[in-house]
Amino acid sequence: MSEQQAFAQGPEGLTDGFTARRTSQWRVLRSEWIKLLTLRSTWITLIAIVAVIIGFGVLSALVASGSVTPSSSNGGGPPTEAMRRNPLNTVMSGANLAVLIVAVLGSIIGAREFASGLIRTTFSAVPRRLPVLWAKLMVFVGVLLPIVLVAIVAVFFLGMSLLASADAQTVAWSDDGVARSVIGLGCYIVGLGVIGLALGTLLRGTAASIGVVIGAVIFVPALATALLPESWDEVLKYLPSNAGAAFTTASQSGGAMLDPGVGAAVFVGWIVLAVACAAWVIKRRDA
Amino acid sequence: MIEVSELTKRFGAVTAVDGITFTVRPGIVTGFLGPNGAGKSTTMRMILGLDRPTSGTAHVNGRPFRQAPAPLAELGAMLEAKAVDKGRSARNHLRAVGATIGVGRSRVDEVLAMVGLTDVAGKHAGGFSLGMGQRLGIAMALLGDPPVVMLDEPVNGLDPDGILWIRGLLKSLAAEGRTVFVSSHLMSEVEQTADHLIVIGRGRILADMPMGDFIRQSSQHRVSVMSPDATRLAELMAGPEVVVATADDGSLVVEGLGAREVGELAAANGIVLHQLVDVAPSLEAAFMELTAESVVFHGSVDQQAGSAA
Repeated sequence: MSEQQAFAQGPEGLTDGFTARRTSQWRVLRSEWIKLLTLRSTWITLIAIVAVIIGFGVLSALVASGSVTPSSSNGGGPPTEAMRRNPLNTVMSGANLAVLIVAVLGSIIGAREFASGLIRTTFSAVPRRLPVLWAKLMVFVGVLLPIVLVAIVAVFFLGMSLLASADAQTVAWSDDGVARSVIGLGCYIVGLGVIGLALGTLLRGTAASIGVVIGAVIFVPALATALLPESWDEVLKYLPSNAGAAFTTASQSGGAMLDPGVGAAVFVGWIVLAVACAAWVIKRRDA
Repeated sequence: MIEVSELTKRFGAVTAVDGITFTVRPGIVTGFLGPNGAGKSTTMRMILGLDRPTSGTAHVNGRPFRQAPAPLAELGAMLEAKAVDKGRSARNHLRAVGATIGVGRSRVDEVLAMVGLTDVAGKHAGGFSLGMGQRLGIAMALLGDPPVVMLDEPVNGLDPDGILWIRGLLKSLAAEGRTVFVSSHLMSEVEQTADHLIVIGRGRILADMPMGDFIRQSSQHRVSVMSPDATRLAELMAGPEVVVATADDGSLVVEGLGAREVGELAAANGIVLHQLVDVAPSLEAAFMELTAESVVFHGSVDQQAGSAA
């Protein structure tokens, strides 16, 4: 008898008036939304991200403007020339640190369910599986992008006004490439988080995916640029972090970097590649 | 209804499930019995679509589980009790997964009450005992009010109270017309609840029959006889239908002859008997016998139930 029911419904007895709804992408999204927000660690990490972006940015601005002088016994001292020369970098110092936290958060969100075994319950509820990956990505971007962008724009104006009040060098939002690089940096941070999430589902281990995303995506390109001969530079420009640098820095340093638009496209390409691999593996591998 | 047809799963060179075919019907409790490593969990995982079959099909309510429009409301399963995120409360765990079929708070609380976890609903699942984790897993299986319920070793880690509770639950789920499929590696557990029995060993189906038939089929009697003149008695009893074995304590275990025949044979030949017992094997023994050759992981001490009284 139950075979003909397009919509399975249990016999009477256990429940009063509960009717199951179709498992749509929207409902899977709701499920992942609840999952993310019901973990205390999510809230702590989100607060940490905002605190780091704004806190370190403000602190750097104060140091650069000379309002705060780090104690010289710790290797501090008066503001360095570099800090004064590049106000945007100074104010975005926290954002550059937040890259690590967001990448780690992405890896954890991607790998966490595999570590706990919850993924088997999740895939039993959504046996087609891919909606789960899409939902995780949407929730991640939907939560982090606004938070990171708001924090990063806030610290830009906060930091610049601090620098201005100390008569230090500043850049304006309307200056050439500034708005692009500030917004670009926010997108780059969240984009790396997405790559972390994809790697987390791919490698199924929190530690492994954090190691790969931070090591390979953030440090290896920097190391390779420093160690490999110049003839490699053409290739290294296309690595995720270097492609990111192309649209997150306001001043173009000659041919060492891709054009901002090309850099953004290459970076999006890396994200698509990571997500495509994750989707392929999630669909095929036994859970 | 669960229909499994020619289902096979190989992991490299190892064949975990070897072309099995069976049907689990609604309205009764079906026990899925086999030693550890026999392929029970792999079979259940293939039914759920967690493992991809090497070949063959598994259908739930007439179609692959993957195609169910509201999977959680079609088949409720518990594979491992602690498949939860330790940092999430029991209530939020059920809310999150239940959201895939539009389950609301009231239904979550209803199910939590049903499994007796209301008092700890707000506690982190990471702090749960094995028994509480098992109850949470069962709550998840029942959350969508599914017509098919599949539980892998549900009694594991439950205290005697919990075991009684789950037996009652399984029977009432079946009485409501649901399909109930429960695995276990212990005959004694299934004996109490199952109406139908599917026995698996080394990835193959060894028996698929109503519990009553299994009991009848397996109650082939044996006779245990102890005599100072065992050797001569064994020679006298020998025949084409008779199997005589010597147990550790020196007694003879005879298959194919009744206690009365053995006694009369001994009397007619003037053989002294110290003991003559009719041994009706327990279902446990029958199960052990059936799966004896199919146990994958033999302990260092061989499990022989043959001479057990």
